[in-house]
Amino acid sequence: MKKILFLFILSLSLSAWTPASRSERESKYILKETKKAISSTFKIERFLLEQENILLTSSAFLTEHSIFKINTETDSIGYAIVVSAPSKTDSFEYLLLLDSSLSLKKVKVLIYREDYGGEISSKRWLSQFLKSANDDTYVYGDNISAISGATISVKSITASINDVMDSLRTLQSQNKI
Amino acid sequence: MHKTLSLVLIGLTLCTYGQNTSVQDTLQISSNQRILNNLAGIPRGITLGGYGEVLYNKPENLNAEIDIQRLVLLFGYKFDERVQFVTEIEFEHVKEVYVEQAFVNYNLTSGLNIRAGLMLVPMGIINEFHEPTIFNGVERPSLDKYIIPTTWREIGIGLSGRLNSISARYQAYLFNGFLSHNGESGLLKGSNGLRSGRQKGAESTMSNVNFAGKFDFYGIRGLRLGLSGYHGKTQAVDGQNQIPGSQVGLSMLGLDGRYTLKKFSARGQYTIASLSDSDLYNELTGRDLGSKLMGYYLEAAYNVLPFTNKQRLVGFVRYENYNTHHAVGEFISKNEAFHRKEWTLGFSYHIAPGAVYKMDYQTKSTAIANTTKGQFNMGVGIWF
Repeated sequence: MKKILFLFILSLSLSAWTPASRSERESKYILKETKKAISSTFKIERFLLEQENILLTSSAFLTEHSIFKINTETDSIGYAIVVSAPSKTDSFEYLLLLDSSLSLKKVKVLIYREDYGGEISSKRWLSQFLKSANDDTYVYGDNISAISGATISVKSITASINDVMDSLRTLQSQNKI
Repeated sequence: MHKTLSLVLIGLTLCTYGQNTSVQDTLQISSNQRILNNLAGIPRGITLGGYGEVLYNKPENLNAEIDIQRLVLLFGYKFDERVQFVTEIEFEHVKEVYVEQAFVNYNLTSGLNIRAGLMLVPMGIINEFHEPTIFNGVERPSLDKYIIPTTWREIGIGLSGRLNSISARYQAYLFNGFLSHNGESGLLKGSNGLRSGRQKGAESTMSNVNFAGKFDFYGIRGLRLGLSGYHGKTQAVDGQNQIPGSQVGLSMLGLDGRYTLKKFSARGQYTIASLSDSDLYNELTGRDLGSKLMGYYLEAAYNVLPFTNKQRLVGFVRYENYNTHHAVGEFISKNEAFHRKEWTLGFSYHIAPGAVYKMDYQTKSTAIANTTKGQFNMGVGIWF
């Protein structure tokens, strides 16, 4: 009984902390995490994010997204792309960092909302996407290993990253980025 | 039917509304807001889903049974980005209705949720992951019926979440426990252990809090390992719970593993349960409850179709060994018929992600000589 009471009090006190607007909180969180990931991946501290006015070709696994060019004082060093993809009953956001030659440098799940399939946030599992050659397609079960209990989200992020990369390569071949 | 239809329509309307808003807003907002817009996900609304299986079982020398074993409808409602209600309404054998899950998930941070309501007890693989398209075999493993009484669910409260840096998931709950005595008779028995004591959240009585937890590790590529624990005491109705032997202590430990390497997959599970005071319980009730229940199974499977195919044709073999009289108290003797062994050989043909045809043959035997019997099974399963 004491334990139940403790859990209740814990949940109430934690909820009291929470700012009213989740979206605002999430937005700030995404920006913070994106900047942190850029700093650690590209080993830079000072940079600017410039929003690109292009959109990738949308698909079932690639709907909402934003593309940012990562600029230092002298140079443009790559891209940061935030993408929404579907999980079983909701959606999640992930970040892709690429260098100027569109080589993938980092994949990170920023926000995962539902309980089912959250295993894809594992850093170790996501590192598989960095190991394939640039023009490889990621294939679930082949160069991207399965995670038992998270099949839907594993397939979703794999398809989503394939769609992003395909679309980026097309844009690159058209000299649009 | 009308209600279902309206739910579908409301769901579709909400989806469409959400998407339109996103597109319009994208055109006229700043980059920060644009990211914000991207995050919106499905801010609120209804989720519909379900799973079901229609089975044909033909035991040797007996008539076949054809049954809509279960049809489960899932409804979720998202109140806001962090509070969600999930329920599953189950129809068993067409005419029995149960609530399989009904809980509120309160997402505190990305790695921490509080859950309260009717929830699945995290023990082994199948009790949590039991949709027909994600396990091989027409029937669920028998271990997950006789040792872990799948679908094992009770009302409780607890925490769940993930630790992404170490690729782990944790769950820890306080649950109501099994009912061992209803005032007239004892419900737990030798043949199926704890199964008949499930209260399933239906006017359940509670005299003791039970703890259940599970730790899953998936940091090695293709491998998922689980360690589950359950500890507590069974319940007896008011007036009965003062009588010695009405309640038994229960500790259960489970280890499970699932491995996938390209087209090959394997899984295994080991579960042991210790019951204290089973002698007192048997003396009071005249039952034959064992003091230890134990079981394990091993399964290997191979998909014969190419990766690039949407369809999968998975052949598998499974061996199970489980005993609801793994140990007994001083006053009853072991019933060897409760030590059961099963081989299952068959295939699952996934005609689309979420729809499967299954067929297998089982041989079932006990520790008593010459008891081997065969059974042929077919089934169709869906999950959406």
